[in-house]
Amino acid sequence: MPKRLVYLDNAATTPVRPEVLEAMLPYLGPDAFGNPSSPHRFGRAARAGVEEAKRRIAAALGADPGQVIFTSGGTEADNLAVIGCALAARERGGPFRVAVSAIEHKAVLAAAHAVARLGGEEIILPVNGQGEVVEDALSEALARGVAVVSVMWVNNEIGVLQPVARLAARCREAGVPFHVDGVQAFGKIPVSLSDVACTLFTVSGHKVGAPKGIGALVVRDRHVVEAIIHGGGQQFGIRPGTENVPGIVGFGAAVELAAREQAAFAARVAALRDELERRLLAVVPDAVINAANGRRAPHVTSVSIPGTDSEALLMHLDLAGIACSSGSACSTGAVEPSHVLTAMGVPRDLGVAALRFSFGKDNTLDDIETVIAALPKIVEKVRALSAVLHR
Amino acid sequence: MSERVLVAMSGGVDSSVAAALLVEQGYDVVGATMKLFCYGDSVPDRPCCSLDSITDARLVAHKLGIPHYVLNFEDRFGRDVIANFVAEYASGRTPIPCVRCNSFTKFRDFLYHADALDCAYVATGHYAIARDGALFRGRDPRKDQSYFLWGIDRSVVARMLTPVGDLTKRETRAVARRLGLVTAEKVESVEICFVPDDDYVGVLERHLPADAPALTPGPLVTAGGDVVGEHAGFARYTIGQRRGLPGGFREPMYVVAIRPETREVVIGSGDELFGHSVTLAELNWLADALAPGDAVLVQCRYRAPAVPGRVRDQVGGAITLDLTQPVRAITPGQSGALYDADGRLLGGGVIA
Repeated sequence: MPKRLVYLDNAATTPVRPEVLEAMLPYLGPDAFGNPSSPHRFGRAARAGVEEAKRRIAAALGADPGQVIFTSGGTEADNLAVIGCALAARERGGPFRVAVSAIEHKAVLAAAHAVARLGGEEIILPVNGQGEVVEDALSEALARGVAVVSVMWVNNEIGVLQPVARLAARCREAGVPFHVDGVQAFGKIPVSLSDVACTLFTVSGHKVGAPKGIGALVVRDRHVVEAIIHGGGQQFGIRPGTENVPGIVGFGAAVELAAREQAAFAARVAALRDELERRLLAVVPDAVINAANGRRAPHVTSVSIPGTDSEALLMHLDLAGIACSSGSACSTGAVEPSHVLTAMGVPRDLGVAALRFSFGKDNTLDDIETVIAALPKIVEKVRALSAVLHR
Repeated sequence: MSERVLVAMSGGVDSSVAAALLVEQGYDVVGATMKLFCYGDSVPDRPCCSLDSITDARLVAHKLGIPHYVLNFEDRFGRDVIANFVAEYASGRTPIPCVRCNSFTKFRDFLYHADALDCAYVATGHYAIARDGALFRGRDPRKDQSYFLWGIDRSVVARMLTPVGDLTKRETRAVARRLGLVTAEKVESVEICFVPDDDYVGVLERHLPADAPALTPGPLVTAGGDVVGEHAGFARYTIGQRRGLPGGFREPMYVVAIRPETREVVIGSGDELFGHSVTLAELNWLADALAPGDAVLVQCRYRAPAVPGRVRDQVGGAITLDLTQPVRAITPGQSGALYDADGRLLGGGVIA
């Protein structure tokens, strides 16, 4: 067993914060376990928790409480935005067509693909070498007419930022709903929807210290989206089903904390990230920081180490007690670079050799120390391995 | 610091127990599942090499408190095993992909990872016994898998641990139950892992062009040269097969030979199936090489008895053995595994 465990996979998920757990507990117990739709005292207690959470989340995001629609997480919120807008557009005789960027999370890409399979159409907006959406492609999509444009604020693999305020303004001008997947943005960079004229915004709980299984879609215009699951009419029928009250309460607490701490968090993790990149390049001089010259969120770095493969690196790092993530995916067939790195034009040999380190509130310089101490030996071993396995 | 061992965990009961026993013996155990192929959505998960199996292996590793990883060998397995499987059928032979998987994947590629991880040993759930640099039959005669291991590199044997080789299948399951492993009652996979529903022709159809000779009709002939019918492609037949042949003969008829150059499938009586000698190519030795005149036991099919034989001659990379008793359905592409009287696996080759 390694002496010291280092968790640098905070973009994947984070532990529940003690304050969040504390806030949730009453809603699991005898006093406030009720169904928020019930007309009795138990229901009222639960409803109060839900509404308070909604208020906090709306305040943190610069939205109205009535715009917050809770979902089971980021994936469901993304699906609701993309598929829900496509269905609503078809309903009113509009375009059954969606446009999403090539580096979106699979939740958005797969939802767009689902629209195509339902008889609609998906337009994939390409990105440049720094991962930014090519705006001419957006212009073309808007000219053709689409039900929704979906572009993520911060990319989950490489941390690159999109100019969402500008893109939102362009969509608004064209009269097209604009969805922003803000899962990796909220809590990491300043997020205020009063500055970003998006129609829909996805936020997830477990990336900011709430439990898994709770997220929200901020819906600023209910007419543009149709429900994709159907039930008892809760949440204006946009996302029916008895609310996950403890999750919602925890989510509210976590979002409030994350918004309050954002600036300090960003400064801290940016310093850690810069230090990791600097020292990593010192010990592995030919490593490549992906999108190094792009505008990036402070908590993620994607590093390709030539002559290696992510799969083996992750295994060796885990045995050394270091948890991070890869930039490659095994979906069908062999290990391939992720769709994000591929879309950015990263060469295949660098794409299969990418590591993602993502920082959270509990990381320290000691963590970087541990990584830097372990990495050179690991890189050497994996290079020898890859030379044999991939020749 | 205890010695580290990399265990190949398929997600089945045998390799689960192998890992568990090594943990009990005090090794520093790292588990790994080799992902060998992927049919995507076209074929439902197989009982072996599938995502379900990876999950099972992961659960066992978690229970044992050991790390577990997935190693993606799809490219190399596709090249070394599946492509050869297809090529062998296309040339009228009946391959054993498990032999090549052991030779190239489990006991070569897997070793590269073991080396990188500073593992002194590799272990599998094979029913065979590695001892002092020599390989022996597993203790359970009904489970013995040494037949499939003749092709591995001799130097690897000294680094092999075979914790279930000394157990019967029943004992293996008992260990799994004692430890509460999720795989304890798992049904055994008996088919070739990458061949769904035993439909090997389906695999060939996916990999070969539609007009491949092996899959196009040809004549059914007798040993005397009489054409007695047509077959739907010689790759659908194997030596000794009775199913799918026309009736109307005085005695049951079997496939006795396949001639890919003329696309002929030769049928004959049961007597014509017996051979008195066997030639082995692609030889590999796990002991000192045999020379002409040496006596040895030869096993020409999985689960068939080994019969006494003697090396007649050696030409190039092949040896021919005379058998002291006739052997039924000696089939090109299958393996001839060579043993001594103590059940030591001396080596083997592919039946020419």
